[in-house]
Amino acid sequence: MNEEGQWIVLMGLLVAVALFFLALIINQSALVGQTTAEGVLEFPKNDIRDLREAVFDYVDAAGALDPIERVDIEKDIITISLERKNAVVQFGNGTPQDVSGRWLRPVDIHYNNGVTVYNETVYY
Amino acid sequence: MVNDAGQLYTMEGVAAGVIMLLAAYIVVSTTSIYTTGDTHIPDMQLEQLGSDVLAMMDTPDTNGTTSALETFVSTNNGTGFNSTFLSYCNATTRGTLDNLHMSANITYRDANANKINEYPFVAPDNTWTGRESAVRATRWVQLPKLSPKPVGMPGDMRTDPQAVLVEVLLWRA
Repeated sequence: MNEEGQWIVLMGLLVAVALFFLALIINQSALVGQTTAEGVLEFPKNDIRDLREAVFDYVDAAGALDPIERVDIEKDIITISLERKNAVVQFGNGTPQDVSGRWLRPVDIHYNNGVTVYNETVYY
Repeated sequence: MVNDAGQLYTMEGVAAGVIMLLAAYIVVSTTSIYTTGDTHIPDMQLEQLGSDVLAMMDTPDTNGTTSALETFVSTNNGTGFNSTFLSYCNATTRGTLDNLHMSANITYRDANANKINEYPFVAPDNTWTGRESAVRATRWVQLPKLSPKPVGMPGDMRTDPQAVLVEVLLWRA
């Protein structure tokens, strides 16, 4: 048996294995792009920002509304959120408090769509 | 008798076979995953664009005035909403127009029956086939007291102040 050239065979194998690792890295990098984009699509950033704005609009307008209308708008936001966005939503506002010399009311905002939970108390 | 000459050639042959199979598998799987992974990124960007356009339309020109979005919804002006929305999202830095299309629905609550209903605000144009990879962007709008109720709004929608949800489907054609 002629044993010459074994080094060449070994080097060939090593190069082939190295190429496989590089191909695997390219393969995985595509998956990273997919999961990142999916994660961004799934995270309800715009829903939460939109809900906050809706609650602030509600608090702004609440002074000029009678109690029945206020309850109706609150129900609108809660039931439509559940129906169209699959999100359980709850919010409320308290009496104004003295915050560093300004009278601000604490506003509670709770959001839960089963994947993302968001709770906030903001002085508005 | 068993002759053990040429064992190295046999091993080399087996190794080469395995290498070729793995190479073919990795080449095929890499390209196929790459295309599916890529399609989510334009979707994500389109959804963000739609949300940003709605946020822009929901911002009043000056403090205390009503926003364009609120005016379009409270006067049931679907055509005005359609053209403003598309002019915002089709604008590009090159000056040429992009090719985005949209339709919109409005979801409201019928307080008497306590039911959620919706009505079409902007009907889809003739590029809509149902096979588009459309994305959805939504925006809450709080309507003032409607007196009288504009023509075209459903009968069970109340005229008192209320919150409705504007849902826009956005696609590239």
